[in-house]
Amino acid sequence: MDIGTLVSLAINGLAMGMIYAMIAMGLILLIRAVGVMNFAQGDLLMFGAYIAWWLFVDLELPIYLMIPASLICYAVIAIVFMLTAYWPLRNATYPAATVISTMGAAITLKELATIFWGSYPKMMPAIMKKPNGKAAVIKIGKITLQWQFVLCIIVGIVLIYLVFTLFEKMYVGRIMQAAAQDKYAAELIGIPTILTTAATYIIVVTLCSIAGTMVSPIFTITNTLGTIQLRAFAGVVIGGFGNIKGAIFGSLLVGLIESYSTIQFSQYKDAVVFLTLIVFLLIRPQGIFGEKIAEKG
Amino acid sequence: MKMKKMFLKPSTLVFLLFALVLSIVIPRVSQGYSMMVMNNALIFCVATFGVSVMLGLGGQLSFATVSFMGVGAYSMANFCSGRHGFKLEPMPALLITIVIATIISFLLGLVLMVLRNTYFTFASIALVQVTWSFYINYKPLFGGPDGISGVSNFRIFGWTPANYNEWFYVLVVVLVIVSLLVERIRRTQLGRSLSAIRDNEIAARTLGINVYMTKVIGFTIAGVLAALAGSLYAMHGQFVSGDMFTFERSTTYIIMAMLGGVNNTFGVIVGSILVTMLPEWLRFMQRYLQLIYGIGVILLMVFMPMGLSGLASSLSKSVKRRLKKAKKGGAVS
Repeated sequence: MDIGTLVSLAINGLAMGMIYAMIAMGLILLIRAVGVMNFAQGDLLMFGAYIAWWLFVDLELPIYLMIPASLICYAVIAIVFMLTAYWPLRNATYPAATVISTMGAAITLKELATIFWGSYPKMMPAIMKKPNGKAAVIKIGKITLQWQFVLCIIVGIVLIYLVFTLFEKMYVGRIMQAAAQDKYAAELIGIPTILTTAATYIIVVTLCSIAGTMVSPIFTITNTLGTIQLRAFAGVVIGGFGNIKGAIFGSLLVGLIESYSTIQFSQYKDAVVFLTLIVFLLIRPQGIFGEKIAEKG
Repeated sequence: MKMKKMFLKPSTLVFLLFALVLSIVIPRVSQGYSMMVMNNALIFCVATFGVSVMLGLGGQLSFATVSFMGVGAYSMANFCSGRHGFKLEPMPALLITIVIATIISFLLGLVLMVLRNTYFTFASIALVQVTWSFYINYKPLFGGPDGISGVSNFRIFGWTPANYNEWFYVLVVVLVIVSLLVERIRRTQLGRSLSAIRDNEIAARTLGINVYMTKVIGFTIAGVLAALAGSLYAMHGQFVSGDMFTFERSTTYIIMAMLGGVNNTFGVIVGSILVTMLPEWLRFMQRYLQLIYGIGVILLMVFMPMGLSGLASSLSKSVKRRLKKAKKGGAVS
């Protein structure tokens, strides 16, 4: 095992970890804002990747048009998703009902993607590529890195930084946090909670969809792309339920574990990741960073 | 005047008659493939009863159903396909499978039930992923990606169901036994303790219920029912492969339970049959079927979170109220 392979595995792992971190962050934002565990997270990612493909490859929009167009699409999806899978159920008496409705939403999204774009896998071209069209690589001495993985890490860091600034530094973010912490009190002081909830949904869907766009040159886009959400869930629990920093850390850890486990047992990498999760749950169920939201009920 | 306590409620009686008629009529009118799907629905129903015990009584959302179905199916396949150089009779193999499943699910229950609600759900997802990646990769026990074929057919007292129609009767008998068992569990101390834990864990503890052990036993029952379903599945299809035991599959069992009504025995049966048979009945709109299914799940949760049985009971309540009103009105005038 030489140093080049180790470093490139680390970069691959961190890149996938960043993707999981974006899913995980969205998951926690939703749990904090509306208390719903969203099982459609992965399928939102898949749908976002399809939309990016559709705008970029199918309609051949230039990139400066494609980015705003895709953001508008994501916002529309977010609003529709909120109004169907969450809003009618916000006062549901049976807590499992909202979770199951997100499962229904996951199936619906998957099927819509199949109906719109067919079941044939779609190739997203790499963003950085060589003149001959192949994915570009960076060579530093012995170490070979794929540009796409590096880009994943950069985009991930930027997005996570933006979300943090929104929630910690900006007035709008504070309003959203207040609404998430105590909806009733927030409404009393005049915060329109429906708008803050909608904004949260838009942020979450955009995060997922950008993550999907970033992974799509690595994997091909198929309607089963959504299954990677389970590893993001593992990251959430390892890091600490309801704690965004913990979830990011946990997701990166999951990415690294997954990447290094391919050295020895590539078929069982899922088993390794999830066994780690079970061990973590038993030793430190509150996660590495502890939990911020208490278990309800 | 005291009302005489009836052994069976009228609604139960009607349903039983209906079920009896159906189980006589169905094998007469269908055979071959559609009969096989029907049988699968009954097999899944056995596993869904496990979900009903865990989610309906205990309030614990567990995805582990498919893991234990896998335990049952693969244990049956290993004992009865002769791939290790020996072949057991189906009945002893079934008994051994049940014992193995009881031990495994009890031990896993001891480990996983340390965790509270959401953590337990996540751990059960993790368990599904771990078992699934072993089921599709590990050749010596699970046959790897090819699965295991040549599992011998069910046999009892020298009689073997010759086709799917005869299998149907076997499965109906099993289903009746299992549903009576689950109905019984609901009325025992165990079932009531589980419901108490679902409604309020702290209150249950103050009443002297051993919360941890009760949950472990609930988990074990769910695991054994799933394993029974798995072994029936192995014998019925005579083939086992890993794609029956994925995470997506496990969500299906939860949807089956929720569709019919998670706490209602008939609801569970109706739910499993509907979810499994609808793709057959609606074959003409194949392309949009899954889409309708997904939207249907959301609508179901919005309009009747307690499932079809919840809808039925609220309907019958309102009908009764109307009738009472009408009677009163008649008496006054």
